Amino acid sequence: MQPVIQTEKISKHYGRLKAVDNVSINVQKGEIYGFLGLNGAGKTTTIRMLLGMISPTSGNAFLNCKKVNAGNPQMWRNVGYLVEVPYSYPDLTVRENLEIVRRLRFIDDVKSVNNVISLLKLNAYEEVKAKNLSLGNSQRLGLAKALIHNPDILILDEPANGLDPAGIVEIRELLKDLAGNEGVTVFISSHILGEISRFATRIGIIHDGKLVHESSVDEMVNLRKVSLHIQTHDMESTAKKLGENGIPSNITDEGIIEIRDPDAISKPEKIATLLVQSGLPPCLLKVEEEDLEAFFLRVINMKGGEK
Amino acid sequence: MKGFITAFYVEMIKALKSKMLWGTFIFFGFIAVMLGFLMLAAKHPEITGKSEVLSMKASMISNPNWATFFWLLLQMVLTVGSIGPAIVTIWVFGREYSDRTIKDLLALPVSRMNIVLAKFSIVFIWSLFLLFLLYGLGIVSGLIIHLDGWTRDLFIQKSQAYLLSAILTIVLFPVITLITCISRGYLLPVGLSVLILISTQFVFLGMPGITPYFPWAVPGLCSGVAGPFSPKPEVISYIILGITSISGVVGTAIWWQHADQH
Repeated sequence: MQPVIQTEKISKHYGRLKAVDNVSINVQKGEIYGFLGLNGAGKTTTIRMLLGMISPTSGNAFLNCKKVNAGNPQMWRNVGYLVEVPYSYPDLTVRENLEIVRRLRFIDDVKSVNNVISLLKLNAYEEVKAKNLSLGNSQRLGLAKALIHNPDILILDEPANGLDPAGIVEIRELLKDLAGNEGVTVFISSHILGEISRFATRIGIIHDGKLVHESSVDEMVNLRKVSLHIQTHDMESTAKKLGENGIPSNITDEGIIEIRDPDAISKPEKIATLLVQSGLPPCLLKVEEEDLEAFFLRVINMKGGEK
Repeated sequence: MKGFITAFYVEMIKALKSKMLWGTFIFFGFIAVMLGFLMLAAKHPEITGKSEVLSMKASMISNPNWATFFWLLLQMVLTVGSIGPAIVTIWVFGREYSDRTIKDLLALPVSRMNIVLAKFSIVFIWSLFLLFLLYGLGIVSGLIIHLDGWTRDLFIQKSQAYLLSAILTIVLFPVITLITCISRGYLLPVGLSVLILISTQFVFLGMPGITPYFPWAVPGLCSGVAGPFSPKPEVISYIILGITSISGVVGTAIWWQHADQH
């Protein structure tokens, strides 16, 4: 099956700065692709290249198997997008801003504005000028502009910015519904792995312009580190006793013995028995799974995780 | 064509809903009324009272009649009239950058070319309307204060000169548009507009030999306000003016189509 969204060794260089470097991504129909990275990692630059707003230094981008070309307006007919902070015409109301988008997208159905206002729960603000909207409602207006024409492809750059927790859940459920029931392909960038992993089907992590990790969310869960954490009243003796029994361990900065041996992790009761019999009863014994934040930081080789 | 009509309609809505449109109407209307007041002060020096500034300005008009008033209106179209379209184009194009709405116009079923052409059309019509407003209200002011020396021939002759000067002045705005798009803001094009205005005066005063070849001086030569001893515009003058204008249009279109838009 041909990918709906594709980049082929795409790069964007600004002088010596490699904002995006040889990034190849394939997103299939109906997938929600979470594009993760820190600020300045290259997420927005990649999205701008996907939308034809900037030209790649090398490589190509494709949407629906067509090479992205700023001169071909037809290719944007079924693409909805939101890039960075969604700004609108400040002196126009929410409804007027959406009416402009409706006309520029050649949508004949005048009800589409009402529908998208209801969908994004903007009814109370439809006559409010864009300049008077809160950040959260500006974000909703931006999403409304991206969704007004029921696109097949949604490219969203940090759409959760400024939304309150309820709003984040709402948008998450909306995107899940669009992908799952309508077959919409969603490409969504974020810097919060924990949030994205809740609804994305696949995750790509970009760092310093390079795609450093790509996997399904299920695979990513399996890639997370698991370790057995132990605390006793005599940590040095405990570590020594474990070593004598062929169980490698180390004492972390937090003063916890960490064991990564898969056999020990799968049968912690054996460790407990060993320590009790050795006169070193554990006051803490638990299997610890690496959280998503630590996984993300480890992948991009930053403080907070190990390579 | 559908794309252009849609883009034009959208640009018209954006302009009509803006304070800028009404602000420019008020400004140009105010200038016309003030010109009328100046003529009235010249006709009746006693009404300026003790205002030395007004008295001085009014005394510069030795013959407060229709011929002088038309000359004043022509001066206005060549000075304020060149700044007006510049301000309008800086706003119509520059606001997309300052309001950061440009990205909403780049990946649409309407081509960027249609959007650019629609914006150019709006700027042209808006600017033309401003200069007609200045002229129309100016004439009304002159009629109200009963200026002497009205003749049908004078009116037709000066109206033709005004219309030609207005159109030649307006068509030069795409150069400012291009600078607005490249600089993605207001400051540089505003500075350039003022620089062009000053340079044009300098060219007239200091280098009369090159006036027929300096595009922004050509409307002044056509209007006749430069006096009987000023050089006459040549065919090459119009060609240079046309090339300057078209360069601005083409440059802006190429910029929108091919330059990275951040």
